[in-house]
Amino acid sequence: MRLALREMLRRPGRFAVAVGMLTLLAVLLLLLGGLLDGLATGSTGAVRAQEGQLLTFSATSRDSFVRSQIGAETRAEVDAVPGVRSTSGLGVTLVGARIEGREEFENAAVWGYEGGVRGVPAPPPAGQAWVDRRLEAAGARVGGTLRLGPTGVPVRIRGFVDDTSYLLQAGVWVTPSEWRRVTATVRPDRILPPGSYQVLSVDVASGADPARVATAIDRATRVDGADTTSTLTKQAAIDAIPGVTSQRSTFTSIINTTLLVAAVVVALFFALLTLERTALYGVLKAIGASSTQIVRGLFAQAVVVAAVALVIAEVLTLGLGAVIPREVPLLLEPSRAVTSAVSVIVAALVGSAISVRRIIRIDPATAIGGGA
Amino acid sequence: MRLALREIRRSKVRFILLTVAIGLLVFLAFFMQTLLVNLLGFFTGALEHQSATVVVYGEDARRSLEGSNVTMDQVDAVAQVRGVGSAGPLGERTLTVRADGADVDAVLFGYRLGRPGSPTLMASGRRPLRADEGVGSSIDAGQGFGLGDTVEVLPGVGTTDLPLPIRITGTADESRFSVLPTVFVPWDTYVAAVRLANPAAPEVRPSAVAVIPAPGVSPSALASRINREVPGVEALTREQAVADAPGVSSVSQSFSLIIGLTYIVITIVIGFFFVILTVQKAASLTLLRAIGADARTLIGALFVQVLLVVVLAMAIGAGILMLAALGSSPVFPIRAEPGLIGRVGTTILGLALVAALVAARRIARIDPVDAVNRPSLGGLT
Repeated sequence: MRLALREMLRRPGRFAVAVGMLTLLAVLLLLLGGLLDGLATGSTGAVRAQEGQLLTFSATSRDSFVRSQIGAETRAEVDAVPGVRSTSGLGVTLVGARIEGREEFENAAVWGYEGGVRGVPAPPPAGQAWVDRRLEAAGARVGGTLRLGPTGVPVRIRGFVDDTSYLLQAGVWVTPSEWRRVTATVRPDRILPPGSYQVLSVDVASGADPARVATAIDRATRVDGADTTSTLTKQAAIDAIPGVTSQRSTFTSIINTTLLVAAVVVALFFALLTLERTALYGVLKAIGASSTQIVRGLFAQAVVVAAVALVIAEVLTLGLGAVIPREVPLLLEPSRAVTSAVSVIVAALVGSAISVRRIIRIDPATAIGGGA
Repeated sequence: MRLALREIRRSKVRFILLTVAIGLLVFLAFFMQTLLVNLLGFFTGALEHQSATVVVYGEDARRSLEGSNVTMDQVDAVAQVRGVGSAGPLGERTLTVRADGADVDAVLFGYRLGRPGSPTLMASGRRPLRADEGVGSSIDAGQGFGLGDTVEVLPGVGTTDLPLPIRITGTADESRFSVLPTVFVPWDTYVAAVRLANPAAPEVRPSAVAVIPAPGVSPSALASRINREVPGVEALTREQAVADAPGVSSVSQSFSLIIGLTYIVITIVIGFFFVILTVQKAASLTLLRAIGADARTLIGALFVQVLLVVVLAMAIGAGILMLAALGSSPVFPIRAEPGLIGRVGTTILGLALVAALVAARRIARIDPVDAVNRPSLGGLT
């Protein structure tokens, strides 16, 4: 193995080709992963932040927040289900928000909530809002005013909260009555009757099984044998957000194909290298090196090539991330860098393994012309 | 050429590996380009293929049809602007409908009959003539949105109303919206459907104003005039409205970045592979030159190999793309379009030939005299 590593130190140019190709593939992987994370985080933050383990939608809404409607009577039925500790009403309206002193509108999701949102303090007084930090990046300041919708319903920014956006729109968290007021002016066709909410966030009693409680809720709210509610776990509600599942499956398949390409490229490179060094390996075997030692060296070289490529790729991707336009939802997270690194190293090992058979079959006799 | 083919036959493993690697990369390029075209079409097809050439949003809509609403007073004000040939309300709403026995999400596009907003790419049947008729997106015909089907809009919570049936009298190509099945319906049907979904709604506003300019007036000039004269709205040409729809630019930019990077990887993989191969064969190539083979013949053999590898790789890429298309879901059907495969394939072929120039240059610089200098070829020094 020492010999293999020493070869890399003394002839780095020989491995530059593989490093270059793997670097580009790793950049591709990191960008794909970053886009997937950016899209997922920006679309689901507000739902992930719910403290309730379950979310109850109306049955005909097909688990869409904006189409769901839970009346006061249904809520009372849900509250009475064994295993339900408490419920919180939720509603969301997507609006254009104008930051004080600015002409253009920013994307905002106005949430009416009663509490129970991780990272978001209790509902603010009327006329005020907790605002997602996305809008801080767009120029909003604490104490400043946001004007919502075409009539510019004013809300004062009480403070910023993190990771609460929905469908890539910054969360603006207000009292339910404030949310109703905004909805009435912005989207009158989406007004709900008094006491109704779009969705209930359900906090399950400790020790109760959320899946069983969800089934019990939907059973308790049935009318004439027909479901009137659809209760989902938080993860299922996240998956039901438009685009989330299809984005995930599409990006995952592209990422997997890219990893396959990386493995094949490494295989190709080491196959060529092994071919070129067949005679040398023959000599090594003739003077006592075992196939295992040579294979170990090959794997060590594959890991080093992948590791160097990953370091360069990480730097390049961070540089690209800094210059990519704001509308590209790229999120470069350390966890993604780690999983990508592990995947690329595994792909490199798998790829290099294709040369193992050829190495094992090298006859030491070739060193003295026995193979000729 | 015989030389090139014989070499491939004798070095199967390395050429198979290269062809598979390039084939997978070509598939990635095909797949992402197809995805991009399909996705953008599914996002905005209905908006792009309706008859209004000017679309007027509420000013806070951020150029999103879904996030826009205008008042009927604004519709009337737009209709009064000089240069407007015809104007009417245009509604867009995602609702739960029952199609082919299943509850699914669908988008309703409501327009006033005889006014702008009707579908333009009719694939079968006819446009609606009366209430409760509609034109479905043809790609969803198999999911209960085909000619002769009936789609039912489901009532919202707290109503005892029956579902609202819409009979599909025609289908239109490239007419999905927000990646969902779409039905173009008369304005009154649209209003009834929205009220059915939410009986508490005090009014149903249009999402936008659909406008066709008077003869001789350009859409862009009319859009500018509407923006000057009507307060609280933002008028865009149809092309602008499509290009600026939410998600379109971010999806285009993200995919363009990834596709661009894939092209670079393909070029470099092909380029480096053939350079390595040329370096490995340097002694043999020198000997060939020394016994009379001219550089053009050897370079020709190189390009034959490049062409063969790339063409086979494209066949592999196209084959996998077709499998992916066959396996795609009805919700997001992927179509492997020959035109797109041809365009992307030609680009890759061009890049491959450019990449091979480095190896070609190396071959061209081989000096036959080296044959008598190299000890490996029997030379002295």
